[in-house]
Amino acid sequence: MTDAPPALRLEGVSKSYGATEVLRNVYIEIADGERHAIIGPNGAGKSTLFHLITGRYPVSAGRIYLHGEDITGLSSYAVYRRGLARSFQVTSLFNRLSVFENLRVGAMRVSGAGHSFWRRLDRYGPLSRRAEEMLEMLGLAGRRDVPAGLLAYAEQRALEIGLAIVGGANTILLDEPTAGMSRAETERAVALIRRVTEGNTLVVVEHDMGVVFDLADRITVLADGRVIASGPPEAVRGDAAVRTAYLGAAAEVLT
Amino acid sequence: MNMTPAATRRTPALRIWAPWLFAAAVVLVMPHFFGSGFAISLLCRMAIAAVFALSFNMLMGQGGMMDFGHAVYLGLGGFLAMHAMRAANAGLWLPTPVLPVAGAAGGLLAAALGGLIVARSTRTAFAMITLGLAEAIVALVLMLPRLFGGEEGINADRSEGPPLFGLNFGSPIQAYYLIAIWALLAALLMYRFTLTPLGRLANAVRDNAERVGFLGYSPAVVRYQVYVLSGLFAGLAGGMQALNDEIMTSANIGSNAAGAVLLMTFIGGVGTFWGPVLGAVLVTLMQMALGTVTDAWQLYNGLLFVVMVVWAPGGLSGIILAHAPLLRSGRARRLVPSYVRVLPGFVCAFIGTVGLAELAYRLQDIRGGGPPGGRVLFIPADPQTVLPWLVSLLLAGVGLWLMARTAPAARDAWLDAAAGVSA
Repeated sequence: MTDAPPALRLEGVSKSYGATEVLRNVYIEIADGERHAIIGPNGAGKSTLFHLITGRYPVSAGRIYLHGEDITGLSSYAVYRRGLARSFQVTSLFNRLSVFENLRVGAMRVSGAGHSFWRRLDRYGPLSRRAEEMLEMLGLAGRRDVPAGLLAYAEQRALEIGLAIVGGANTILLDEPTAGMSRAETERAVALIRRVTEGNTLVVVEHDMGVVFDLADRITVLADGRVIASGPPEAVRGDAAVRTAYLGAAAEVLT
Repeated sequence: MNMTPAATRRTPALRIWAPWLFAAAVVLVMPHFFGSGFAISLLCRMAIAAVFALSFNMLMGQGGMMDFGHAVYLGLGGFLAMHAMRAANAGLWLPTPVLPVAGAAGGLLAAALGGLIVARSTRTAFAMITLGLAEAIVALVLMLPRLFGGEEGINADRSEGPPLFGLNFGSPIQAYYLIAIWALLAALLMYRFTLTPLGRLANAVRDNAERVGFLGYSPAVVRYQVYVLSGLFAGLAGGMQALNDEIMTSANIGSNAAGAVLLMTFIGGVGTFWGPVLGAVLVTLMQMALGTVTDAWQLYNGLLFVVMVVWAPGGLSGIILAHAPLLRSGRARRLVPSYVRVLPGFVCAFIGTVGLAELAYRLQDIRGGGPPGGRVLFIPADPQTVLPWLVSLLLAGVGLWLMARTAPAARDAWLDAAAGVSA
């Protein structure tokens, strides 16, 4: 690694709603080009962490840095413009637009389309090309003109990932990308994620431990709003604190 | 990678332009078939209403923004155009054909200010703020009689402007062609907007504003820009109206006008680009043709709106779209028997409802000192006796009962046919 600033750095980030503390004093550092997984039991605060990083909710305390730049308190679109894109745990698409149009909206910002109300969309060559390429990659080329709201669940999940990556952001946050997918669909999605995040930074929240250990360079374990372990997969696998905190079915997978 | 980029899949030019050429042809030949003074004035109103409804649907259908005060921009644009016309009357070289541009400028400026207040909000809050803003502006207009002429409004004479190519646009037919050309141009520009990045962003904000934020765009900025552009076209409609009516009053700004455009747009259908045009044509026809026959036309307009929203939320254009593929594949013929079976019930219910409404209006008229007796639906009927009421009530009741029994079969027939087409 060079001495370039980390892609993402969280310094003492906390979030509370009234007296309820959802995240406490979280420190995480994710190097440029790293694939980082965040795991933990339900309610550990993983999705909240994503919401704080991407400006959906304001932090209660702490700072967030993207490539060394303080992005704390920026709105979601400002964070996106600095090169950070995300997907959602609960599918969040443009339901009445076709699959192709969804992807085109996702690629608009980087294609320089701006807010033009005069030039026609199909005159932005790279824009449509990007959307078509992504259609192929997602395996949705045959569903190009179907409204997103009418897709099957797994197809919607694939498009959800597509929307996050089609803009070519260099830091990508995926919130449970393979949730609800079959074995084959999961494998396809993981291969796609691996491919498009080549050379980029990936942060992924995931419950499927197979996917986590397959994909991640490093893992952070959240429990009850705190970081209880962070490191390479094999170190986390053997961590005693993780074993005690992270109970249930997942603990067996860890062994 | 092996694939077909979208850019190479161009729709042939003729297919894009055919509907526009057809519309232009219809608009241009209309006065030759309907040449009476009444018809020309009706056509002018239709064209103005169509532009207004299209501008409303830029917000409603395309951007998911319900503007309860959209008439503000038509009205303020119209007033600015009116002042421009007065300046032309006073000797300023401002040919009559460009007056709608003044209207557009007025709508644009007003919406640029109004948008600062409303664009941050969404859905219900947005709708309520537009309502409040409109009320405030109507009050303001009445408080500034020097600018807006108070209750009487302001007027001018379009034929007093500087002539252009020897035309003074005083005659109704000249005014019609002027308004028709502006309407076609405005519709074309608004259609073009739907093909641009901002047009697509408006759809995205409608479907899922939050996600737009995570794709690098501020939803509030998108809403603001669409709002301002929509205000521009509403103002253009106002300029066309000023040109047509040669008078603007505070009534053109208020909630009645704003409600009318909402009704038109929903009756025509918000889901397509051309639906609002259909609604504008139909409602204007009802307003002007029906308005000369019965005082109850607004009641019918309201009933039509309710029926559409409840049973055909896609409006007229939605009904057409639901049947177009069936017509093309020839499956529509199978629907005819089941649709015909609904017809007697519909006719019964229709006559009964109209009878009740007309009787009520007649009764009110008699109580107010009008002549007794009279006709309802061309049949002599005295609303002060029981029989006509009973007959109307019976017709309405039996009609609705018949419809309730026959409509499900018609619906199933449609579902069968539609499933056959998509399979």
